[in-house]
Amino acid sequence: MVYNFLMISDDAPPDLTDDATELPGVSTWRGVYLAVGVIFVVWVVLLAALPWLFS
Amino acid sequence: MNALDYLVLLGSLLGIAAYGVWMTRGRRDLKSYLKGSANTSWFTIGVSVMATQASAVTFLSTPGQGYESGLGFVQNYFGAPFALLVISIFFLPIYRKLDVYTAYEFLGRRFDAKTRSLGAGLFLLQRGFGAGITIYAPAIVLSTVMGWRIDFTIIGTGLVAIVYTVSGGSDAVNLTQRYQLGVIFAGMFAAGCILVYRLPAEVSFRDAMTVATHFHRLDAVDFSLDPHRRYTFWSGLLGGGFLALSYFGADQSQVGRYLSGDSLRGSRLGLMFNAVFKIPMQFFILLLGVLLFVFYQFETPPVFFNQTAWRQQAGAGSGDRLRALEADFTAAHSDESRGLTAWLHARRTGDAPAAEAARSAALAAHARADQARTETAGVIRAADPRLGSDSDYIFIHFILRYLPHGIIGLLVAAFFAAAISAKAGELTALGATTTVDLYRHLVRPGLPDAHFVAASRSFTVLWGLVAIGFALFAQLAENLIQAVNILGSIFYGVVLGVFLTAFFLRRVGGTAVFWAALAAQGGVFILYHALSISYLWYNVIGCALCMALSVLLQAMLPRK
Repeated sequence: MVYNFLMISDDAPPDLTDDATELPGVSTWRGVYLAVGVIFVVWVVLLAALPWLFS
Repeated sequence: MNALDYLVLLGSLLGIAAYGVWMTRGRRDLKSYLKGSANTSWFTIGVSVMATQASAVTFLSTPGQGYESGLGFVQNYFGAPFALLVISIFFLPIYRKLDVYTAYEFLGRRFDAKTRSLGAGLFLLQRGFGAGITIYAPAIVLSTVMGWRIDFTIIGTGLVAIVYTVSGGSDAVNLTQRYQLGVIFAGMFAAGCILVYRLPAEVSFRDAMTVATHFHRLDAVDFSLDPHRRYTFWSGLLGGGFLALSYFGADQSQVGRYLSGDSLRGSRLGLMFNAVFKIPMQFFILLLGVLLFVFYQFETPPVFFNQTAWRQQAGAGSGDRLRALEADFTAAHSDESRGLTAWLHARRTGDAPAAEAARSAALAAHARADQARTETAGVIRAADPRLGSDSDYIFIHFILRYLPHGIIGLLVAAFFAAAISAKAGELTALGATTTVDLYRHLVRPGLPDAHFVAASRSFTVLWGLVAIGFALFAQLAENLIQAVNILGSIFYGVVLGVFLTAFFLRRVGGTAVFWAALAAQGGVFILYHALSISYLWYNVIGCALCMALSVLLQAMLPRK
């Protein structure tokens, strides 16, 4: 039995582009999420490099 | 603290609360009272989410953690950006689409009434019992060092939070949290600047960071796969990620914050604001602690930062032992300080053998000083086992001893602002969940909005009084606080399991997930007593257990 799952039909997953971000330079949500991922990687690299930077 | 400090403290705290009450007066309908006004900006939502999570303990104790063990704690937050992405992509559109007041209302729509009540009940149990901690933890530290009566400190903090939360609802919480966070960051920034300024003239910022490196205080990332290590990259990413997913996605104190306002865009950007700034915020607070550590390598610290406790015990039976340990500590610290100065000088002149000799001498002296500190803490704790961690007193000791008047008032205001803003976020959520998921849903459905606004105000007052009562009672039962903290950390995984089942396992129904959640919670309790792994992992275990049992039970249930 399939329940009334989230009131969304099988062929309509959650929409990532339902709203404009209205941010300068990043107009899509995919772009925002990518930017968050890139910032995270930069932070981890910087944090991991701290002892080396100040050895 | 002098008159100027008290003026800054009372002016900033009462001024912000009064402003919140004034600006949001006359809110009468349930939607604007519980969810805030439609024009709440994404920045306000983002700040509100941040302020609700960052309690006074974050700003009071985290620098002490940086002092004692360096930057490693920041890894705890590595999973948060990804959890916030998942919530923004999958959870938020559904919450918005269904226009729910609480996260548990969603469980009722997706599953059934009993699963909704289970989710709401687990939240109320966990947050309701733990409600006093956000007030008690800072009150015990601040009242000890200031010489204030702890019961007055607890009642004063609690009443300020209750008054504006009850009068202005969600909007007042959003509005005041913005200014409270402003006070907090202004205070922390001022403390950081003065700390760097007060380093010895011959010690540059780079020298300070070099000293910190050689004492392993800048070891921020540990890629070890050992599950017994509390903070590693993997436990932070996975365990911390699940904890963040549960806290931000299924805990009404956060869901209520980002459902403020009226647009999906505002809620999403508010969450992304936290995804970007959560790690840097924790990093800078920990870095403040690391700089404090370096500062106290050149400036003699007390052997025990909770000086009130030290003086009490020094005047009692173990006084001679404590004074002897203090003398050992001072001598070792003096050797260490000289060794570090010689080491930095030798590094600058390029004299490698002298630098290595001085560094070894400094590290050996540091080990002796550490030994004296550890023994002192042992003697004091043996006499009074209720004493908390001495690291909680490191930052406040620095503030009171080395910062100018006015800034002291600002920093103390920052700690209270953090306690009040976190408390206000919790109280709104407890009041909303009790009203919407229990009272309106189960007891008195179908009454007009005005009735539920009044009910919500009453429940908020009630939970506020429970929090104050718990905080007052907590003085007598320190073990209770530990029990509540443990309960919190082992509940979250199962609650998240229920929500992830709702979102991603479409064939599972209410009966299966309800019993699976109860069985999984029992399993987590048993594993907690049987295993000795980092508590972060119980978020993963509880969630996985709940989802797996849900699928299994659903397969076993007769098809309708």
